[in-house]
Amino acid sequence: MSSSLAARRKPGSLTRSNLSGWGFAAPFLVFFLVFLVWPLLYGLYMSLTGKSLTGANDSLIGFANYAEALADAGMWRSLGNTLYFTVISTVPLVLVALVMAALLNVGLPAQWLWRLSYFAPYLLASTVVSLFFTWMYNPQLGLINDALSKIGIPKVAWLNDPNVAMWAIVIATLWWTVGFNFLLYLAAMQNIPHQHYEAASLDGAGAWRQFFSITLPQLTPTTVMIVLLQILASLKIFDQVYQMTAGGPGGSTRPVVQYIFETGFTGYRLGYSAAISYIFFGLIVLVSVMQFAVTRRRSA
Amino acid sequence: MKQFELFPGKQLSRRQLLTGTAAFGSLLAAGALTGCGGNAQAAGVRDIGFWHLLSGGDGIKMQAMINSANQANPGFKVHPTVLAWGPPYYTKLAMASAGGRPPEVAIMHASRVPGYAPGGLIDPWDLSLLAEHGVTGADFAPRIWEKSQQDGKVFSIALDSHPFVMFYNTDVASKAGVLAGNGQLEEVASPQEFMDLAREMQKVTKAHGLSFGYLGSGSQMWRLFYTLYKQHGADITLTPGQPMKVDRDAAIESLEFMASLFDDTIAAKSGDISTGIAEFARGDSGMLFSGVWELPTLKKAGLPVDAATIPTLYGTPAAYADSHSFVLPRQLNVDEAKRRDVYKFVSDVLKGSLSWAEAGHIPGYQPVVQSQAYKDLTPQAHYANAADVIAYDPESWFSGSGSDWQTYFAENVQNVLLGRDKAVAGWGAFEERTNHLLSMPNPV
Repeated sequence: MSSSLAARRKPGSLTRSNLSGWGFAAPFLVFFLVFLVWPLLYGLYMSLTGKSLTGANDSLIGFANYAEALADAGMWRSLGNTLYFTVISTVPLVLVALVMAALLNVGLPAQWLWRLSYFAPYLLASTVVSLFFTWMYNPQLGLINDALSKIGIPKVAWLNDPNVAMWAIVIATLWWTVGFNFLLYLAAMQNIPHQHYEAASLDGAGAWRQFFSITLPQLTPTTVMIVLLQILASLKIFDQVYQMTAGGPGGSTRPVVQYIFETGFTGYRLGYSAAISYIFFGLIVLVSVMQFAVTRRRSA
Repeated sequence: MKQFELFPGKQLSRRQLLTGTAAFGSLLAAGALTGCGGNAQAAGVRDIGFWHLLSGGDGIKMQAMINSANQANPGFKVHPTVLAWGPPYYTKLAMASAGGRPPEVAIMHASRVPGYAPGGLIDPWDLSLLAEHGVTGADFAPRIWEKSQQDGKVFSIALDSHPFVMFYNTDVASKAGVLAGNGQLEEVASPQEFMDLAREMQKVTKAHGLSFGYLGSGSQMWRLFYTLYKQHGADITLTPGQPMKVDRDAAIESLEFMASLFDDTIAAKSGDISTGIAEFARGDSGMLFSGVWELPTLKKAGLPVDAATIPTLYGTPAAYADSHSFVLPRQLNVDEAKRRDVYKFVSDVLKGSLSWAEAGHIPGYQPVVQSQAYKDLTPQAHYANAADVIAYDPESWFSGSGSDWQTYFAENVQNVLLGRDKAVAGWGAFEERTNHLLSMPNPV
């Protein structure tokens, strides 16, 4: 009924039924405008001013903040840390999830227990995970160094060695969030028609052959989606770093989100911090567009 | 048209649902409106908002002081909100004040006031109103009173000063033969003498002579560094638009001395605050460098503990310190009656600060410090002289307790203390970072 009505109706005219459609959409639209569009525009405006948290200097200063940011070694370093984390966390977060899902998919007994134990850490708050790992990483009293010393490996200053700290955070993040990717992979694997495997085994394909020739290709759309979601999630890294190392040692783990927070809220320079966040925003948009382009080419 | 089937047997049309939602919404709104005000208002008792950053033992003491002030003053009721120390506290306080709806009174570290007062985030105190409750400038030690002021106005009222001191285990010290005739630790006057003293204690504990946890904590590194630096009789001056004025040799000498302590005999090569305290509490070291606020924890551990100011190793007695101070965050509309209540509340707390002293802090209010009851408190009385030699952070909008500046210090100096970097290089990088901050537009 609605399609024939819509064909006769002029587009855009306010009828009773699309009025109530707007009515239903209104709560979302209001939130969208108030909490997304307005802050986005206001932030852009703010990045062009010298605004401080104390309210001093609201005047427009053009692109001075952007110019300062592009010459700011602190911003580049934190941006570099963010990208480094994204690269070294995305690979294990995707691969480990895939391996975990594949292991489970071969039909281990007590499936619910595996699914629960793989996914349960994801439900914890970042504060809990950070506290938990901070203790485990403690150089003197920590569980990990204690275990290492028992097998004769010298103590590692997990969160205090600039060369190790980022990896320590990746390990904590992996344990904490890999369950989400695992669940996506598992769902996708269980959707692959069983006939494919039957046919393959009749043709004499072994387990590895089946995995590489059926499972992996069938999972491609899921992999693309997981990689995209993971890159975006990793780029936004903040909580666990802030709580475990506060950006240290020597600024080696400070992500750009923390740098934005520090310049804006503890350094009071809201305008400057807004400029850095727009530079970061540009980077995220760029990554998303690239990813989107790749996905479209593949699916076309 | 498809109907919504919310209840079996009863169908609800879309129109009914929308009307119902609207009615429910207005009900909620009405509820929210009547929810304002609160019961206390109705009874004529004014609610005073009070933010502070005191947790653990400090928090319990503060709550007891608030309770007794509330009991003594039926006209108002102080409602504390406790926030986490450091950036979480200071950013929230700054934002609430910038928005004009902060609490009526708040605690701030005196060293953070220079970042708040010039920007108008806090109001000056009216000394005549304070005097009505019997509190005047003469009731505070000169250094502390001087620190309360910015441009000739009093912006903070110090509840205490809490210096960085040295705790020591009297059992270990006695076995090591380093106690003087009065039962207190014998005096040392040079870096070498201090290291010898620590080594003597190590022989008794078999672990370490000194505990000092610093890893990952800019505040800890800064507290000891600044104590040693100020003992050189040197100053640091931070003027926006100009490079930092500092005695570089004194800074480097202090850093090198600190690094030389972490040799796994005198002190553990790597330890954070909690491991440092735990080590001392276990009796695995003879001395602990820490803030006075650690006293309740150490007493609870049942240690034979005494305390003193950190020995003067470079000629000039000095101790890093800060003060928990009362400030008046700027209100959009000041409620005069409530502000008067705040003056009464603050003066009551100051006068009752003997219980605050039990938590280790040196009260700011001198009549308490001079009372016999305070003199009977040990080991508090043994470091009360610190109030005369305390050194607050150099003033600027970015310095002070829990500030990013202390974090930057850690970023550049931790590797020096770990023996991976030269003191000259670490200090140089910190100075460069500070100069960058000084060259930026001043946001307050």
